[in-house]
Amino acid sequence: MANTVNQANTRTASARATAKKRRNQLPFAILLLIGIIIFGFVLNGIGVKLPIYWIFGISFGIVLQKSRFCFTASLRDPVLTGSTSLTKAVLIAFAIASVGFAAIQYSAVQAGNPVPGFVSPAGWHTAIGALLFGIGMVIAGGCASGTLMRVGEGFMMQWLSLIFFVVGSLWGAHDFSWWKATFMTNAPAVHFPSLIGWPAAIFGQLILLGALYLIADWYGNRRSSQNS
Amino acid sequence: MADYRLDCMGEACPVPLLKTQKKLSGLNIGDVLIVEIDHSCAMKNVPEWARKEGHNVDIEETGDGEWEIYIEKTK
Repeated sequence: MANTVNQANTRTASARATAKKRRNQLPFAILLLIGIIIFGFVLNGIGVKLPIYWIFGISFGIVLQKSRFCFTASLRDPVLTGSTSLTKAVLIAFAIASVGFAAIQYSAVQAGNPVPGFVSPAGWHTAIGALLFGIGMVIAGGCASGTLMRVGEGFMMQWLSLIFFVVGSLWGAHDFSWWKATFMTNAPAVHFPSLIGWPAAIFGQLILLGALYLIADWYGNRRSSQNS
Repeated sequence: MADYRLDCMGEACPVPLLKTQKKLSGLNIGDVLIVEIDHSCAMKNVPEWARKEGHNVDIEETGDGEWEIYIEKTK
């Protein structure tokens, strides 16, 4: 109760002659929706699968924007604010994705096909690359999906991030054969289900993610009880 | 009991949060800090941090994609 009273005081105490005139965004939204549908039909003329990619891409964007989901914040906020809510969200997303990928891969392997998806060589280069990417994404204010989402939101600083993200990616792709030959050929590509069996791989991964979730939950609560 | 404004327009996450933390530590108890932001990510982590610290927090959307976060320092 005392909290709500204080909240009211916070409101009245501050000068708030700052409300700006808002433009009605509904006409833009309707125009955009019509544009999305028309472009979907155009894509359908080029390839049957393209409209599916189109709708999935737009749906991902909406979910990312509305949920304020951010891979950068999931790893940065525990250090910066002690909040682990996004960390837990990412772990849940990984768990759901693991089950989905396992289903896709299992059915493909049962049918006698090679394992779908990327099974990349893992080694020291993975850890070093991850560290570099982590430093970059905190400075740029977003990872790949986060940057794209904020570009769409109209946050102009990240338009700059996107340009250099594209430049960096192209540069990396250009020299990829050298990186691969120098660092990646000796590293083993491990597909856990093929190595230790499907049940052990899937449940092992889920148990690991569950353990990380518990640690994140404990860490988030610990930080908040320390401060209050 | 004074009002302070902190302009974080155009600043990407986590800069608004760091600026808020720095600014708020220099204020007196009872002062209100108004943080102006236009980055949706800061809209989440600045209030979350301030609430965790135990301050009174209020958010208002002043324009399309522009917010003001009111933080009353309580300790």
